[in-house]
Amino acid sequence: MTVALHEKPAVYDAVIVGAGVMGATTALFLARAGLNVAMIDRQDMFRAASGVNAGTLTLHMTRAQLIPHAIRGREMWLNSAEWLGEDVGALATPGLSMAFTEAEEDLLRQRARVRQEMGAPIEIVSPERAISIEPGINPGLRAAAYCALDGHIPTYRVGGAYARALKQAGVTLIENAAVETIASSGGQGYEIRLANRNQAVHAHRVVLSTGAWLEKMLGWFGHDIPIRCLINQLVVTETLSPVMNSVLSIANGLLSLKQFANGSVLIGGGWQGEGNIRDGGTRVIPENLQGNVRLAQHVVPQLNTAQILRVWLGLESETPDAMPLIGPLTHDDNAFVVGCVHSGFTSGPYMGRLLAERILGADPDLTAFDPYRFSSSPATGSQP
Amino acid sequence: MPSPDFSPVTVIGGGIAGSTAAIALSRHGLPVTLIDEQSEAGGQIFRAPSPYARQTVPPNHEFSGGDTLRGKLAASDVTVRLGTRVWGLSPSLTLDLIGSDGMSQLPPSTVVVANGATERFFPFPGWTTPRITGLAGASILMRNGGTLPGQTVVVAGSGPLLFSVAHQVLELGGKVAAIVDAGSRTDWFRLGAMLALDPSRMAQALSWMGQLRKAGIPIHHRSFLSSAQETESGLLLTVSEMDHPQRRHLYAAETAACGYGLKPSTLITRSAGVQHHHDALGGYLEPVTDVAGRTSRPDLYVTGDAAGIRGMAVARLRGLVTAHALAQDRGLISSATYESLTRTPRRQLRRLDAVSRRMLPLMNAGRELAASVHDDTIVCRCERVTAATLRSAIHSGAKDLNQLKAWTRCGMGPCQGRMCEDSARNLVTGTCKNTPEDAGSFTARMPFFPLPLTSVTGTFDYSDIPLPKAAPL
Ligand SMILES: Cc1cc2nc3c(=O)[nH]c(=O)nc-3n(C[C@H](O)[C@H](O)[C@H](O)COP(=O)(O)OP(=O)(O)OC[C@H]3O[C@@H](n4cnc5c(N)ncnc54)[C@H](O)[C@@H]3O)c2cc1C
Repeated sequence: MTVALHEKPAVYDAVIVGAGVMGATTALFLARAGLNVAMIDRQDMFRAASGVNAGTLTLHMTRAQLIPHAIRGREMWLNSAEWLGEDVGALATPGLSMAFTEAEEDLLRQRARVRQEMGAPIEIVSPERAISIEPGINPGLRAAAYCALDGHIPTYRVGGAYARALKQAGVTLIENAAVETIASSGGQGYEIRLANRNQAVHAHRVVLSTGAWLEKMLGWFGHDIPIRCLINQLVVTETLSPVMNSVLSIANGLLSLKQFANGSVLIGGGWQGEGNIRDGGTRVIPENLQGNVRLAQHVVPQLNTAQILRVWLGLESETPDAMPLIGPLTHDDNAFVVGCVHSGFTSGPYMGRLLAERILGADPDLTAFDPYRFSSSPATGSQP
Repeated sequence: MPSPDFSPVTVIGGGIAGSTAAIALSRHGLPVTLIDEQSEAGGQIFRAPSPYARQTVPPNHEFSGGDTLRGKLAASDVTVRLGTRVWGLSPSLTLDLIGSDGMSQLPPSTVVVANGATERFFPFPGWTTPRITGLAGASILMRNGGTLPGQTVVVAGSGPLLFSVAHQVLELGGKVAAIVDAGSRTDWFRLGAMLALDPSRMAQALSWMGQLRKAGIPIHHRSFLSSAQETESGLLLTVSEMDHPQRRHLYAAETAACGYGLKPSTLITRSAGVQHHHDALGGYLEPVTDVAGRTSRPDLYVTGDAAGIRGMAVARLRGLVTAHALAQDRGLISSATYESLTRTPRRQLRRLDAVSRRMLPLMNAGRELAASVHDDTIVCRCERVTAATLRSAIHSGAKDLNQLKAWTRCGMGPCQGRMCEDSARNLVTGTCKNTPEDAGSFTARMPFFPLPLTSVTGTFDYSDIPLPKAAPL
């Protein structure tokens, strides 16, 4: 392992492109291992998905195969003081996923079973039991899936905590500089060109962690993977007296509902708005705003006293098989990707650490996340 | 000349500028809808008085001017939708409305934004007590409600509103304990030199100032409220001098009215994505407009104070010129007709604009206060964020307002940063030594004000909810 000792190396050991939770965690663990690391973002750090997400640490909405990772990620958030350097206020609560129709009950049971098999401590409970856990819910439910491991994190506290940790670890942060090209510089690593800057950045290794913006960059490394961009809607209310203390969802996964310590209720679940990755502009679809909020009010009838304070949309990325991309993009092990992780805020710290370990020479099992799974001839990953 | 286009126009805001523009637009034959959140048109200055105020407040120009304007509006073909607020808009300018009749939408139209001004505040220890109101709020309470904000009032802040509010307090039989002005006396007298250009307004401000001095009311220039403490009977207020921080004056009063000038209300124009710039003199963000209120979007015009604070005389003239320009852009009148219709108003505008711009630094005299705000003082009252929290986030790397908001919640509350944005920006630029443009402004989000959740949900059955297909397992 080369460990450069000077402050501003001519060539970084690693450059991380994209400063969300995935890239920032990778950067943090690489820097702590002694690498000279720079992290670049097209805007300020943590302003895309990692700055606007709902902060739900739930297993009810996680892809079944990612349950083990989500459990680890959740633990890391709850212990953030230990590895991030400060407590970001993650809260452990129970989680309930509800069914109001027969079809939903079937779905609930089926999904709970699969997630149980993957290690989530989920059990189906009666309406009475669900109401005793969460008195504020609509008594008209047919059944609920209960999970003791749930919770939430005040997302707004995370970006600043990472900024301080990264600074302390010696990561060079380059903000408001979109990466425009990455070219191999004569077998000596990469030359990274930035918008609005004359000086290129040089690195022995690059990590792509640009979330919804990954598709084009993957192409630079010969990976032709269509990345779908979800435009997730969130709605927050003004503060109100306590109406719930757990994380609530419904069988098909299209609701997440929780109340923060300050009394505001956050309504999410992946209802869609309009938007695009070109300028990041988004727009609320009125029917989807209404649908999402109706669902929330149906689940917790007391929300009828709430005031809607704000609605916003955030961009989340998804691969064709809805499984993450984590691992090397080239056969010489110099370019990597981490992203497209479902419920990726929950597992982000764990996924970022996994990739850092892989880059540092360990051999974690990343088979299911291998970007080459989308290549027609798996052995021909080209280099730019 | 393009072929005439008679598609609809929507005017947001029924103050002097908006009402004037709406009437003139409808005279050009355009179908015009005027939207205003109040129950009667008139805006801030020409706001309709309560029946009680009509009896108690001496007859004044604002009442009669407002009545005339409302009369003209009623006689016009303008469709007026009162008690209606715009809570959101789409990129194509569909407007989301809420009114007594519930939620509705207006399909895309050409929009004239005439939603006026917002008062600026700078925080100090104790500023969040309900005994302290804004100057603009106090003025409306007195003129249109006929009610004093308190029997004894300290009037503080900056700009001409100081003297008009103090005058109103006396008129309704109240007592002004002191006037605290961030501006200097010389600034005011320098303004006096502009008297010739806008005699009515300047003469009034200076005559009020003289009257108040004669009445023996202490006037502190280059001074500011540095703390407010609640007591049994009201407030104990400390006044500090800007140039001699150790010199303090104490006043007891029932309430205080405090405001540091006006700024354009930009939530709607920012949401619509038109270009804005920072006006250094006014110390605020304003949409980039030409003399007629054209913006960087051909389907959006801004008129009145929303295009930059210039006061009521300019608002009326701007409303007229905007309407005629829009008519010309639509091919309803020739450029020669536009020239002749607007020759006089444009000449008057040039003259008044010069005076009004000279007034801006006086309104913005408190600008240096925000950077020195005490660490324990709450800057964002909605989310209770202190100056110390903001400074520490700036120190961690938040160099612009949106990162500052994301990391501290400053500006995330119900007021969308109207109250704290100026202080937050001054803290950022003061610490990072960057420009107000670099610091930017809080991203505007919908809804523009809190909406009752049930106004969005209405009555429904579970089966009405269009549940999307299940997320992948
Ligand atoms: C509204 C919403 C709610 C969500 N709720 C939850 C939840 O409750 N629980 C949960 O676990 N997950 C949730 N998620 C998912 C989670 O937020 C994401 O999975 C996670 O944050 C993704 O992190 P990331 O680092 O991969 O991407 P991002 O955070 O999007 O980071 C990508 C970064 O790359 C930068 N970038 C892009 N292009 C370039 C370029 N050319 N050059 C340089 N930089 C570039 C971007 O500016 C951005 O900062 C939610 C997502 C959204 C959008």
